[in-house]
Amino acid sequence: MSRLIVLILALVLAACGQGPEPAASPSDRPMRIVSLDFCADQYVLQLVDREQILALSPDAEREFSFMREAAIGLPTVRPVAEDVIILKPDLVIRSYGGGPNAASFFERAGIPVIQVGWASSILGEEANSIPHITRDVADKLGQTARGEAVVHNYLARIKAVEAAATERSALYMTPSGVTSGGNSLIHQAMIAVGLENYTDRPGWHSIPLERLAYERPDVVAAAFFEAPAKRQHGWSAARHPVASRELREADLVRLDSAWLACGGWFVIEAVEALANGAVRE
Amino acid sequence: MMLRWLSPALALLSLVAIFLACLLGSTALPLERVLAAFFGGGDAGDRLVVWSIRLPRALAAFLVGAALGLSGAALQGLLRNPLAEPGVLGVSASASLMATISIYYGLVAISPWVLPLAAIFGAVIATALLATAAVRTQSVVTLILIGVGLSSFAGALMSLLMNLAPNPFSLTEMINWMLGSVANRSFDEILLSLPFLLVGSLILVGTRRGLSALTLGEEAANGVGLNLRNQRIFTVLGAGLATGASVALAGAIGFVGIVAPHVVRPCVNHDPARSLIPSALLAGLLLVLADIGVRIIPTDNELKLGVVAAIIGAPVFVWIAMQRRSVHD
Repeated sequence: MSRLIVLILALVLAACGQGPEPAASPSDRPMRIVSLDFCADQYVLQLVDREQILALSPDAEREFSFMREAAIGLPTVRPVAEDVIILKPDLVIRSYGGGPNAASFFERAGIPVIQVGWASSILGEEANSIPHITRDVADKLGQTARGEAVVHNYLARIKAVEAAATERSALYMTPSGVTSGGNSLIHQAMIAVGLENYTDRPGWHSIPLERLAYERPDVVAAAFFEAPAKRQHGWSAARHPVASRELREADLVRLDSAWLACGGWFVIEAVEALANGAVRE
Repeated sequence: MMLRWLSPALALLSLVAIFLACLLGSTALPLERVLAAFFGGGDAGDRLVVWSIRLPRALAAFLVGAALGLSGAALQGLLRNPLAEPGVLGVSASASLMATISIYYGLVAISPWVLPLAAIFGAVIATALLATAAVRTQSVVTLILIGVGLSSFAGALMSLLMNLAPNPFSLTEMINWMLGSVANRSFDEILLSLPFLLVGSLILVGTRRGLSALTLGEEAANGVGLNLRNQRIFTVLGAGLATGASVALAGAIGFVGIVAPHVVRPCVNHDPARSLIPSALLAGLLLVLADIGVRIIPTDNELKLGVVAAIIGAPVFVWIAMQRRSVHD
């Protein structure tokens, strides 16, 4: 028995010594983490060891959660203070989960909170860019090396698609008839692959039906259409004859909701899909 | 004299307004191009704009307004209360709740007919409840309060649905049905609502003599041979069908059903029977005009027709209610 304990101790110590992140010392590394929303879930599932995850948000396995397969089998918790505290987490991570007072509440209760920033640019080093947010969260989770690896891979994939740039226009469309213009992540993804965004006004708008009657995009980037039984139906705005003509006749790039529902390194999947659509003739 | 010309004049104005709606939009189209497109000529894009975008939208606004105006006038006749209206009485809210439920649970995927049927179901249930309450209570105030209660309850259930929404993205569509809009409506959707709207309207028009008799009071109406029970059933059914179909097409749009009959009533000597058609035409006209306004007001995001209708209609409702302060009940 005592030999077994020695063996286990030796293995544990060896594991600590050879961990992929020499920067974080094992003693201050948070061990048991609770994530409060599906955006934070993605970072936890990607960056920390499975054993460190005490609970994820109830949406972790939903179709719009990119890391949903990794989430299978892990416990979930509603982002309610009482339910979270009773789990005695060493660390709470959130983007929007638990509402605006969640961070200060958990900190008062002595539980450190990692705030996942709101990604508003796919490249660059400013505080709200995907590379910066990924590195920042990874650092705070004591997983600098893993974070760096994710960012490295992400930037390499973006660089690879930039070569395939063309000059075609793309319209972003959802089943409820919403499109997106300047400065959204999807807009930047289009620009990154050399597509011109058909919607020029910044922000989120209804599909410009009248303009579509005269001026048609080469590519339609259709997002959130993947569960037709629930998302699109006979009364969806995207079923309007003018909108559905584009869905039928333009080059269709289907974007998985999991790539876009939350800003993170997985936006690269949308960038690559758009890049393929951009060169299709 | 005014009476004879009222309906034809309103019908003509409605046609003019619908044509005007086809002229105005985010793309500037000169009159001759719109006319060419109307008669099947001109540029393919022009035909698409006129026939697939502007005309169905204007027609949807007119039909929704007409259904609500007609239902409002009929309910006011049945309940003998100028404040009765599908929006105020919670009929629209109940219909919009059921429409949302059909989307929320994916029932609409079974068949596009599910949505109008669900909306009509909600509207008929609410109208039937109100008519039952009207039999029990003679108090107009009580009836309005029951309507307010129904409206709040439907609103609460709607909030519950939003609260439990499976994901943040399904909220957008639910909000659309709550706020009311005819944006992006096509002939497909109009055709799905039209049968119900027409049947409901015909039933309501069929009840008009009874509504006139009811102005004498229920006992007197009974005395002149009115079958009160049938009168109630048919008015409830007609208003339920028409309001439900309008909600399926545009979501909940309030107050138009109160404003139009109120304006029409003095012109028809306060006869509910003769107020039905002009009320429908005027309400249709008002919504077409309001929707033109919604489209040309240069806000960053297009305003919702239901929001604009409520902003204009709610103060009118308060004003009408305040005029009634002398009436004792």
